Amino acid sequence: MSGHLRRTIRQTLTIARRDFVATVFTPIFLLFLFAPVIMGSFGAIGGMGAASVSGGSAGKTRIVAILPRAAAPTIAAADTRLRAAFRNPDEEPPPLTTVDPTTDPAAQARAAFASPDYDASAVLYGPIAAPQILYGPRGARAAEYLTLLAGETLAAERLGGNAPQVVATKTQMSRATPSASGQHESAFFAVFGIFFLTLFLSGQVVGTMAEERNNKVIEVLAAAVPLESVFLGKLIGMFGVAVLFVAFWGTVIAQIGSLLPASAAPALAELVPAVGLPMFALLFGTYFTMAYLLLGSVFLGVGAQASTMREIQMLSLPITILQVAMFALATAAASHPGTWIATIADVLPLSSPFAMAGHAANSPALWPHVAAIAWQLLWVAIFIAVGARLFRRGVLQSGSAKPRWRRAKPN
Amino acid sequence: MGDASAVTATGLVKKFGGRRVVDGVDLTVPTGAIYGVLGPNGAGKTTTLRMLLGIIEPDGGERSVLGHANPRAVSDSIGYLPEERGLYPAMKARDAIAFLGALRGLDRKTGRARAAAMMEEVGLGHAVDEKIRKLSKGMAQLVQLLGSVVHRPALLVLDEPFSGLDPVNQEKLEAFILAERDRGATILFSTHIMSHAERICDRLAIIAGGKRRFEGTVDDARGMLPQRVLYTPRDPGDAVAAALPRDAVRDGAVWRFELPDGGIEPWLATLIERGHGIAGLSIERPGLHEAFVSIVGRDAIEAAGEPVAPGMAA
Repeated sequence: MSGHLRRTIRQTLTIARRDFVATVFTPIFLLFLFAPVIMGSFGAIGGMGAASVSGGSAGKTRIVAILPRAAAPTIAAADTRLRAAFRNPDEEPPPLTTVDPTTDPAAQARAAFASPDYDASAVLYGPIAAPQILYGPRGARAAEYLTLLAGETLAAERLGGNAPQVVATKTQMSRATPSASGQHESAFFAVFGIFFLTLFLSGQVVGTMAEERNNKVIEVLAAAVPLESVFLGKLIGMFGVAVLFVAFWGTVIAQIGSLLPASAAPALAELVPAVGLPMFALLFGTYFTMAYLLLGSVFLGVGAQASTMREIQMLSLPITILQVAMFALATAAASHPGTWIATIADVLPLSSPFAMAGHAANSPALWPHVAAIAWQLLWVAIFIAVGARLFRRGVLQSGSAKPRWRRAKPN
Repeated sequence: MGDASAVTATGLVKKFGGRRVVDGVDLTVPTGAIYGVLGPNGAGKTTTLRMLLGIIEPDGGERSVLGHANPRAVSDSIGYLPEERGLYPAMKARDAIAFLGALRGLDRKTGRARAAAMMEEVGLGHAVDEKIRKLSKGMAQLVQLLGSVVHRPALLVLDEPFSGLDPVNQEKLEAFILAERDRGATILFSTHIMSHAERICDRLAIIAGGKRRFEGTVDDARGMLPQRVLYTPRDPGDAVAAALPRDAVRDGAVWRFELPDGGIEPWLATLIERGHGIAGLSIERPGLHEAFVSIVGRDAIEAAGEPVAPGMAA
């Protein structure tokens, strides 16, 4: 390693260490670290409120069958059989209520929608072979279910009240190759995961140069260290903060994951990326790093031009829009692998890490990742060099440094 | 003092928005010397120093710092105290010094140890673990100064180091600069306060309007103006004027005039002969301040918003 490179690395790491320590060893960092708890708490409170409202109304919602009393056990049994097909209670139709018919079942059915005892979602009346079904504004699916239920009931009645029970032997299979849907889900998970993390974390670097400008430390730094090293050091320092954040919450989430019911395992087992899980995890980490460095270097360069907190705050909206745009592009690429939009997302520097993470889920080839990582590193270097140059010109009021090949060689 | 030059600048030019704030400045700073860059506000001193440090790039001219055309190549051997002082307020004083040293290649452990020792030496031992934000402005400035030398640089560049310091600390700083020179460092500093430069500079350059107007020793600068005679006759009347040179000006009982080319003796003989007598007589060398005003010009100094002592030569 040449002396110049060694010195550059040392200077970069000195800046990185200072920024990391200055960020982490402050009370504010705890607020930052536990921000997801605060956010989650508000979400949980909101969710509980919404669930309470929704549960209150859902608890009274019914599908109603106006049928002779003799048919009630048959339809109840059919209802029980059909409901077994639903994966969770949220997907099930409202509970079934059977009502004895009066002399005018049609009027009785219409009146059911005004019943004070329940909120009728759909009401069935008339002969079971050709029933009439009324349904409310949000009862179309309930009406469909009542149709199926009527058919099941009719079949049971025709067969003497006891539908034949099928005794099936069920064997869970594991796939030899990842399923297409599993790959797509993995791709989306990867794109969303990196987007989510960078949305939270990479924006932090926008205002980091403001500290040096406000404290006038920048003059000392600029005299001792090349601006490119200052920029890269700050980026690495803040990336260290991001890694600490991710490691902390990754550990917490892993512990929570171990508490999940065993029934969740098959669903997770479907999330098999094309490159295999260990390589996918490695690439996910790498692309998170690259996404952070790419977006961070752009934000750092832009933020370094801002001289006041107000200007920095004004930058938050375009930054968020940029991130969402990259996410949207990468999501489209993950959903349509091999298309022109996927190629654009793979190549465009700022969307490349997101899209390539999705690519890892959809395609087993590894060489594109080597090329993509090199490509992304090149752009990190370009963004840092451009940011430093703009800073040198705009803030330090200097002309550009001569290119290395035009500088006089050291004696 | 060594033979080689620690810093040379040839025809340095810097333009801001088309205006040449530094216009062909030449400097030669001998190794081991204390070299002052003097000039009124806005003369281009700071810009010149920043170019020599590699903070900004010149638009023209050549520079060599510690034998290298690119100052970045020797940044570990340079210490710098900028005009606008700046430290991280949340850092402890010792860590701030060690950090500045680390930027210049000093390992952190050594930096912290040296920082504590240096702070003790300058009477700041009690503030080693104080955060910068809790220090007074003068103390913080001293901490930054220590940070600029903690790595024991071969070249120390100080931009207006005396500004913002009280007289006691200014005196301490002068002693500090002399001690650094004795250690073997070359010191290049800018100032617009002549008294410091007059006391400690081995050589100096005077810059005004972006151009170098003078380069040499303090004595060279002072020698650019003639010496002055202050004569007090025994007889307080105006009759003595006829026996004095034409440029003699009365200031109370004292008459002032430039030392004549042939010396003072013939004039003294005449004065005694004519009975004016000698109640007082002194021959003064002009100070650096007067030389500075003479070199730069009264108008340029006043335009820079600086006071000019009354009675100074323009």
